[in-house]
Formats: sequence, structure tokens, C-alpha cells
Amino acid sequence: MTGAMALQIGWRNLWRNRRRTWLTAGGVAFAVFLVVATMCVQLGSYRTMEETATSLLTGHVQIQSADYVEEERLEDALSAAGLLAARVRQVEGVAAATPRMEAFVLASAGERSFGAQLLGIEPQSHARVVSFHERIIHGRDLRSAGEGVLGETLARNLGVEVGDEAVLLGSAREGGVAALVVRVVGLFRTGMAELDRGLLLAHIDDVREAFELQDRVHTLVVRTPDLDAVDRTVDALVTALPPRWPEDAGGEPVRVRSWQEVLPELRQAIEIDRISGALMYWIVMVLVGFSVVNTFIMTVYERTREFGVLLAIGMRPRRIMVMLQWEAVFIWALGTGTGLLLATALVAWLGRVGIYLGEEMEQLAREMYMPTRLYPTFTTEALLTAPLVMFVGTQLAAVLPSLRILRLEPATALRVPA
Amino acid sequence: MPVGLLVNLSARNLFRHRRRNAMLLLAICVAVAGVTVLNSLVRGMQEDMRDAAVENLTGHVKVLAPGYRDDPGIQHRFAPGKDWHSGVSGDALAGWAARVVVPAVIMSERETRGLQLAGVDPARESISFLGDVPVLGERLQDAGDNRILVGRALAEQLETDVGYRVVVITRGADGSTREAGFRVAGIFDADGTALEKAFAFSGLRYVQSLLGTGDVTELSLRLRDDAATDAVVRNLQARLPELQVLSWQELEPQAAAMYAMADTAIYIWFLVMMGALIFGLVNTLITAVMERTRELGMLRAVGMRRGAVLVQVVLESALVMTAGVTLGLVAGAVLAWMLRDGIDLSRWAAGAELAGMSSRLVPRLLPGDLALLAAMSLGFGVLASLYPAWRAVKIEPLEAMRR
Repeated sequence: MTGAMALQIGWRNLWRNRRRTWLTAGGVAFAVFLVVATMCVQLGSYRTMEETATSLLTGHVQIQSADYVEEERLEDALSAAGLLAARVRQVEGVAAATPRMEAFVLASAGERSFGAQLLGIEPQSHARVVSFHERIIHGRDLRSAGEGVLGETLARNLGVEVGDEAVLLGSAREGGVAALVVRVVGLFRTGMAELDRGLLLAHIDDVREAFELQDRVHTLVVRTPDLDAVDRTVDALVTALPPRWPEDAGGEPVRVRSWQEVLPELRQAIEIDRISGALMYWIVMVLVGFSVVNTFIMTVYERTREFGVLLAIGMRPRRIMVMLQWEAVFIWALGTGTGLLLATALVAWLGRVGIYLGEEMEQLAREMYMPTRLYPTFTTEALLTAPLVMFVGTQLAAVLPSLRILRLEPATALRVPA
Repeated sequence: MPVGLLVNLSARNLFRHRRRNAMLLLAICVAVAGVTVLNSLVRGMQEDMRDAAVENLTGHVKVLAPGYRDDPGIQHRFAPGKDWHSGVSGDALAGWAARVVVPAVIMSERETRGLQLAGVDPARESISFLGDVPVLGERLQDAGDNRILVGRALAEQLETDVGYRVVVITRGADGSTREAGFRVAGIFDADGTALEKAFAFSGLRYVQSLLGTGDVTELSLRLRDDAATDAVVRNLQARLPELQVLSWQELEPQAAAMYAMADTAIYIWFLVMMGALIFGLVNTLITAVMERTRELGMLRAVGMRRGAVLVQVVLESALVMTAGVTLGLVAGAVLAWMLRDGIDLSRWAAGAELAGMSSRLVPRLLPGDLALLAAMSLGFGVLASLYPAWRAVKIEPLEAMRR
């Protein structure tokens, strides 16, 4: 018997018991459909989570003094900021970069005062790196020196509105008092309570002057063309930048971090979700695997007589096994084809309309960096994992029962009633 | 035909094909064990999330002055009457604490940070995480303690340590700025860093004297049974009409949403597993019916009723299902028991915190869940046998016997 013949006979055998074939393929289709569709939703939501999180404030890559990463002390700022930024912008994979100052201040208005994190930003380049300006809900984005943008809750706690003034007090680099008066031009809402209650933005020049940090920078925030380019860009930056900055002996150690390092909680939350998802996928695929094994047990036992005839007329047991493996391939192909078709149709549709999470989930979603509507996307991983695993699974499921054929005696097999 | 005989017949039929029925049994067992373990993990996670929400100073129920939630400051304070908690029966109440929680700025020699200064009575804080959080140095002695307890993450940021001094600035009850030096009594090490950065604790009476008031900003109640929350909220609200009485679900809407979501997740898991199982089940049952066409035809010919044939097939499915569910539940319970020390999530501690979970996930088996799982699985088994049973009923005695 030739290979082509084994294939043909395998195909015909499949249709001797249509119902069983479809039920078995149906199981495979169910597993493939479920795993592919949920993986598309899952991986798609990770992507949006990552994009939402990085585009808020973090950016894709951050360059800081290694001491600042460790201790977060005001004085651990990198000097010659302008030169450094120019150097960074030339590195391949850097789509945009913006300097940022960070300091803790006591914000007061009238009798009230609250502690808050102050970010000093360069408005034009900042808007090219992150889309924080889209979170402004009242007033407008920061444009020039003397202006300030406050979190919605912070503004309410302070009792200030757009147009009012706020006084910011902190301790400067040399230990003196850093004082800064800003006119509130806008209020933002991120949905993250911590930021809305404790963050405000001012112009970088004001912050540098008040905190005696001229031409210094705490963080250079970098955007890469897309999330996939982040690791490459980190490598390129590490090679392109000197280990200490400025390059002379007195320089500070430079540290380049990807967003995964800056926001470990996001990466970890994604990992936990991935693991719990994988657990479900595996159990489902194992269950369907059992049902395929069962189908082949039934097939092999029912056809004992038939196999006896084949063996008696001189067919090698291995050939019969190859034929059964082909049957498994066809069942897999039928199931996977149906499952993939249904899954891609569903995902394509959901990708257009989005999945609404419901009112209760909205706040939660925002805290978790998730958009309020999920848009599943196709990824190679999501499309290929289930089909490949099911292929190996069906092949194994067919091998186990058909091992019996090797032990089959034609004479006894022929005597088994049909 | 007596039911006993039908059961006997169904059971014997199952043993005619040991191998494939053993496979089927194994599949059911894996599905049920899988759902059991996952269910226990989800329950453990739910418990964790609720405890975290309740223990992080929220309690099951909290009493606040109106306006405090929007603008948490000393201006929104109140004086609880002596017998404010008489509306809650002693059986339901596990404990309560009165606190003053105000926004403040904390300064060490090197750094400045913003946080919430909480004046607490240590003797009452067994109801919150403070009661059993590991502390380096000393805990607060009593409500009059004038030292401060800070979180580990904050201590690192401030570069301070046990025995060092910090200065706290806040607003007094009269609106003026109050400043006080505190000696660091101890450094607490909470599960994540959020609490460590957000709160510093000192004695309730001392903080009250610093702010110039004898009032508090919140009353927190811990209940023995979560289910009593709503009733307690209603009782207290009726008793304290001028104050705001809130349940943990209202105070921690995210945790509550997560909690509710986990409930749904359990049913989704179950449906998915049963969905995967049903193809194999129907397949095997149909084969069992088709193989017996001649035999069933014979039985019909000698006078077995259609109903009895139907019952026989349904029973067959129910029997396999019962055996599989029993084994699966036992296997799942054993697995959950093996995981009783919890699954270590500390590698993902920050991520777990984001999702409101602790760094150790301990599975929890609830008898109610197991019963529900068993009942739903059996229901599914019967449902899956309807099509094969219908095929069996359709067999015409004469035709079948001619085969």
C-alpha cells in the first residue's frame, strides 16, 4: 500500500461513521474555538493595557541616574541634560524623548495644604512621548512657565479651580526652601486615585529654578515606534550611552530601564493572568484529547475483524497504523478548521465593536490600566497555539489505541464477530 | 419494569466496555477535579481580596462624617456617642475601632512625603492588618503613645529608621497648621507597598491632642460574618442618621467588583469544562446505543416499554457521571488539600497587589460549592444522554432484529 493510498483509505474510513467523526471533530473544534478566541481577547487586552499604561506617563523607556532609581533622591539628577537628550534622540529606535523633573512638594491654596508629587515637564516634547494631555478634563494642557496642571481630587481638596493660584513648597537641592507659585490652567482625571489625588505638573524651567537643578534631569522618558521595539531600543541605548554621564570621572552612573522594569506590577499582573488562562486551556485540551482517545479505542475495537482481513492478505501492521494516523489528521483538520473559522469570525466582529465590560468594571478597568472596552486582536501566538497543541494531542490519542494492532493475530482477529 | 433491574442493566452495560468507559470516567474525573481545584483557588482569591479590602483599615462597615470621602480632612469629624454600637448585636460584631485619619506631610532630615496620619488605639486594632503585621522595632503601646509607626517602603524613601525622629505637618481642627516631632517606634512590613507608603500610625489620643479635638473621623467595624454587613449598615444608619454608614463594597468598589466577577468566573469555568466533556460523553453513549441496536430491538420485542429504554440510557450516563464526579471531587479535594499551604505568588507580589490578592494563594473548599458542582455535573450528564436515549427509543423492534 502506498502512502497516498493510506491517506485515501483513511479519509474514506472517516465517513463510515459520520456521527462519530463529527462529534470527535466537534470536540476539537470546541477546544480550538475556545482557546483561540479567549487568547485573542486576552493577548489583545494585554496589548491595550500596556499601551494605556505606557502612554499615560511612563513612556516606553526611561533613562535615569542609577542612584536615582535606587534612592529617588532629588539631588541624584543627571547633569548636562540638554546634551544627554540630544544624544538620546540620535539613537536608533528612539521616536521621541522628553526630560522630566520629579520632586515632592506641599501644595497649598489659602488655608489648605496637601502633599503631592510634582512633575516638571517640557510641554512640547512631553506631548510627543506620552498622551497625558488627553487626560485634561477642565481647562487646557500646560503650555508655558508659571502654569500648573492638577489632579482633579487634589484640586478639589485644595479648593482651587482653573484660574486660581497654588503655592508649592519643597526642599531644594542644597537644602534651602524651594518655592513656586503656579496658576492652575487645567485639571486632569486619570481614573487612578493615587494620581488624581497626589500629582501635579508644572513647567520644567520653573521646577529646575525652584529646586536649584539647572540643566539637570531626573528622567528622560523615551517613546519607541511601538511596543515590540522596546527591547531593541533599550539595547541600542545601553550601547550608545556612556556608563557614566557626563563622561568625565565625576559622572553619575546611567541606568536605562524598559517600561516592564518601571512598572513591574503591570508585567506581573499580566503574567498571573497568563498562567491562570493557560491552566484553563490545558485542562480543556486534555479533556478533548480524552474524547479523541475514546473515539480511536472504539474505532480500533469495532474494526478488529477488518484489520484481521487486511493483515491476512499481507498488509503490514505499520501501514494500518499510518492509515489510522491519517484519520487522526483529518479529524484534527476538520475540527481545527471549523474552530478557527468560528473563532476568527467572532474575534473579527468583536475587534470592530469591542467588548463592553459593564459599568461596575469601568473604575476597576481604569485602575488596572485597562480601557473600558476591550478589542481583541489576532496574534500569531493566539492563532497557532491551540491548533498545534491539538495536532500533537490527536496524533498521540490515535497512537495509543492503535498499538493494539501490532499485537493482533490475523487468525484470531478474523474470528471476531463483526 | 422495576427501577432496580434497570439500574442493574445499565451498570452491566458499562462493564461490557471497560476500556472506553474507563477513559470516559477518567475524562469526567479530570474535568471535575480541575473545576474543583480551580474553584477552590478562585474562592481563596475572593477571600483574600475581601480580607485585604476589609483589613486595610476599611472593616466590613465604616461610619464617616458626610463629606469626608470627598475631602478627607479633620474638618469632617464627628463625636460618636457612648452607645453608638448598641444597635449592632454583640454576636455579629467581631470588633470596632475609632480613628482619626488626616492627610499629612512627613519629613525626615533628608526627604519629604505626603501620607495619611492615623491616630489609633492599638488595643482595638486587632480588627485591621495592624493587629498582626510584622513590625521591626516596637508596636504602639496604647492610645496615648506619642511615637509613630511607619511603613517599610516609606522608611526607605525617608531614609529613616527605628528610633529616629520625623516631623509631621497637618491641619488642626481650627484650620491652622500643626507641626509635631515624632520618634519612630517601629517599621511595619505590610503585604504590598501601597499601605506602607500611604499610612503612618500614632496613638489616637495623642493625635487628637495634636489636632486640638476629641472627635474622630471614622469608626470601623469588623463583623464575624460577612453576610451580616447589609443588616448592620441599615441598623447603624437608622441609629446615626446624621452620619454616613458604608459597607466595604461601597468603600472598596474595585474589590467588590472583583469579588463579584470571581463568582461568575466559577460558572464560566464549569461550563467550559462540561462543554469540552460533552462531546466525548455523547460520542461514547451513542456508540453504546448503536452497538446494541439488535439487543435493544429484542428487548422491545419481548415487551420492554419505550420509557424503560430511555431510562436505561439516561441511567447509564448518570451512573458514569456519578462515579466520575465522585472520583473527581475526591481527587480535587485531595489536590486542594495538598496545596493547603498556599501557592507562593511572591514572584508576582506587586502584580497580585494590583489585583487585590495577597502573595500567597490558599485554596478554599466550600461544601456548598462541591454540592453545587456535583448537582450541576449530574444534570449535565442527564442532558448529554437525551440525544442518545432518543436514538435508542427510535429503534424499531422488527427492523433491528433483522440486522
